[in-house]
Amino acid sequence: MMIEVEGLTKSYRKGSAVTEVLKGVSFQAARGEFVAVMGRSGSGKSTLLNILGLLDRPDGGRYRLDGADFSTADDDALSAARNRKIGFVFQQFHLLERASALRNVMLPLLYCDDESDAGATRAEQALASVGLSHRAHHLPGELSGGEQQRVAIARALINSPALILADEPTGNLDAQAGKEILDIFRRLIAEGRTIVLITHDTGVASCADRTLVLDAGCIVPSSPAGAGVSRAPGSGGRA
Amino acid sequence: MTRSQRIATDVFASLRAHTQRTFLMMLGVAVGVAVLSAAIVIGQGTERRIMDLVAKHGLDMLMVRAGGEVQVFAPQADRGLAVLVEADARAIEAEIPGVRLVSAVQNQRDVTVVYEDRSATTRAFGVEPNWMDIRHRDTAEGAFLSERDMDAMARVVMLGAKVARALFPEGGAVGRTVRIGNDPFTVKGVMIEMGVNAGGDDWDDRIVVPFATSSRRMFNRPYLEQIVIQVSDVGAMLETAERVRNLLRVRHAIAPGEQDDFFVRGAEDLENASLETSSTLFALSMAVAIIALLAGGLMIMNLMLAAVSQRAHEIGLRRAMGARSSDIQRQFLLESLLVALGGGVLGVTAGVAVALGLAAAGVASSQITWVPFAVALGSCALIGLLFGLHPAGKAARLEPATTLRQTAA
Repeated sequence: MMIEVEGLTKSYRKGSAVTEVLKGVSFQAARGEFVAVMGRSGSGKSTLLNILGLLDRPDGGRYRLDGADFSTADDDALSAARNRKIGFVFQQFHLLERASALRNVMLPLLYCDDESDAGATRAEQALASVGLSHRAHHLPGELSGGEQQRVAIARALINSPALILADEPTGNLDAQAGKEILDIFRRLIAEGRTIVLITHDTGVASCADRTLVLDAGCIVPSSPAGAGVSRAPGSGGRA
Repeated sequence: MTRSQRIATDVFASLRAHTQRTFLMMLGVAVGVAVLSAAIVIGQGTERRIMDLVAKHGLDMLMVRAGGEVQVFAPQADRGLAVLVEADARAIEAEIPGVRLVSAVQNQRDVTVVYEDRSATTRAFGVEPNWMDIRHRDTAEGAFLSERDMDAMARVVMLGAKVARALFPEGGAVGRTVRIGNDPFTVKGVMIEMGVNAGGDDWDDRIVVPFATSSRRMFNRPYLEQIVIQVSDVGAMLETAERVRNLLRVRHAIAPGEQDDFFVRGAEDLENASLETSSTLFALSMAVAIIALLAGGLMIMNLMLAAVSQRAHEIGLRRAMGARSSDIQRQFLLESLLVALGGGVLGVTAGVAVALGLAAAGVASSQITWVPFAVALGSCALIGLLFGLHPAGKAARLEPATTLRQTAA
C-alpha cells in the first residue's frame, strides 16, 4: 500500500473558536493508483492533502506513507521524506518568478542529501519528459499557463517520487492545456507512480481510477467503507 | 556541492535576480557605514595631525633647568650651578612613569672651534644620543652621536649649520678634523638649519658633542645645565612634570617650604583643551555613526520581516520541496548577511570618498588605513547576522500548510 489513512482528525483554533476540519477520514491507495478527491470548499480536501504531503500533522488517527509512519517524525525526517517520496503540483503553479524554468525544476535538488552534481542534467531530462526542453531558459512570465504547469510537474518529478499530490492542477488552465496535463498524469500512472489529485471538475475526476468525496470532514460512503466512490458522471460533489 | 553550498549559491542567484529589492535593503546599511567610515578616516587624520603638531612645536617635551625660577629669565648668563647631575637624569628615566626619553645636557659659551686657518666661537653642548629625538631635530649630513661615542668619550662633534658654513664654506665637513681647545675632534655630522627660537637662541650657531666627552674632557665638570624629557602622554604633561619635580626635591634634599633649586618647564601654553575637544568630537561622530548603523540594521530587519510576509508562498513552496526549517533560516540569515556586507562595501566606498573630499577641500584631515574597512565590514557582518536573526527565525517557523492553504479553491 502506498497510502494508508485511518481515522484522521484535524481541527484549527482561531482565538476561542475551534473548527473541526477532518472528523475521522480513512482510506487506502495502492501503488500505481490514480485517486481523485472531490468536495465543496471547506470540506477538508486541502487539509487532507497537506497531511498526506507531510506538510501538516493530524491531531488524531494514523497515516502511513509507503509503509512508514511519520506521526512521531521530526522536522528533518519529514522534510527528507517530502523531498524524496512526494512531488507537489499546485493550482497556482508556485514557480519562482525570477528563475528560469531550468532553475525552477532544480529547486528540490537544493534540499537533497545526495551530493552528486548531475542536477542540471536531471533537470533537463525532466523538462524533456514534459516536452519543454526548448523553454529551459525562459522565465515563468514568458511561458503560457499550460507550460508553467508542465514546468511545475517536471519539478515535482525530478527526484522520482513515488507519490504525486496535485491540488486543482488544471484549475487555472484552459481545456486544451488541462487535457495535456492529464495526459502527462496518465503517463505517470503507467510508470507506476501513485497520484492523489484534488479537483472540482468531474471531467478530471473521471480520468481517475476512483473518486473520494469529502463532505464536512468525512468521506461520503456510497459503497463498502474504505473503497470510496467509483466513477459516476455527474455525481461528484453531492452526498 | 554540499547542502550549505547549494543553498548559498541559490541565495546569491536570488539576490541578483531581485536587484531592486536587494539594493533597497543594502541602502539602509550603506548610509550607516558611510558615516562610520568617514568618521574613522577623519578621526585618524586629525589624530595624526595633532601628533605632527605636537612633535613640531616640542609640545611633548619637559625641560628641567638648573637654578630656581629667578635664573630662568637670565638666558644670556651661564648658569654654572652645581645642582643637576647625570644621576638625576637616570633617576627620572627609571622612576617616572610616562617618560619616554631622557637626555642630560651641558652647555658652555665662547668655545672656539678651529679648522686650518678659520675659526668660529660658538656655544658647545654636551648631550646624550636621545637628544635628537627629544628635540625633534635632524642631521643634514653625516650621522648623530651614538652610544658608542658616549662609552668611548669619543672626540666627535656635530656642527650647527652656521658653524659648518663658517669653517667649511665649500662643504664637506663630515670626516674632517677640527680643533676645540687643544684637542682634535672629528666632525661626525652637520645639523639641519633651524633658525632662531622664541627665546633668542640661535640653533645654527652651536656645536654638539657627546655628554661623556663634554663632562670629562671638555668642561671637566659633572654638573648639567638641563635635563630634557620626552613624555609619552601629552595629556598627562602636568602630572608628569609634578612627579619630576617631587623626585628632584627628594633627591636634592629640599625641605618642604624651601624653594626648588631647579625649574621644570613644560609646554604650559599647550591647549590641552584643544586636544580634548578633538577627541570629544571624534567620540561624538563615532556615536552618530553607531546610531546610523543601528538604524540601518533596524531597516534591514523591517524590510526582511516584510519580505518574509510577502514571500510566504515561496517559503511554503520550498518546504513542500523538502526544505527543513533550518534550511529556510539559513537562507534568510545568509540573505541578511550578504545584503549587509554589500551595503558595507557601498558605504565604505562612499564614506571614504566623502572624507577624502572634505580633506581636499581643507575642511578636515584624513588618513586612510585598513582600519575603516575592517571596522565597517566587521560591524556590517555583525549587523547582518543580528538583525537578520528575527526575520530568519520567523521564516523558519512559518507553517507551510498555512501558506499553501491560501491557494486552495
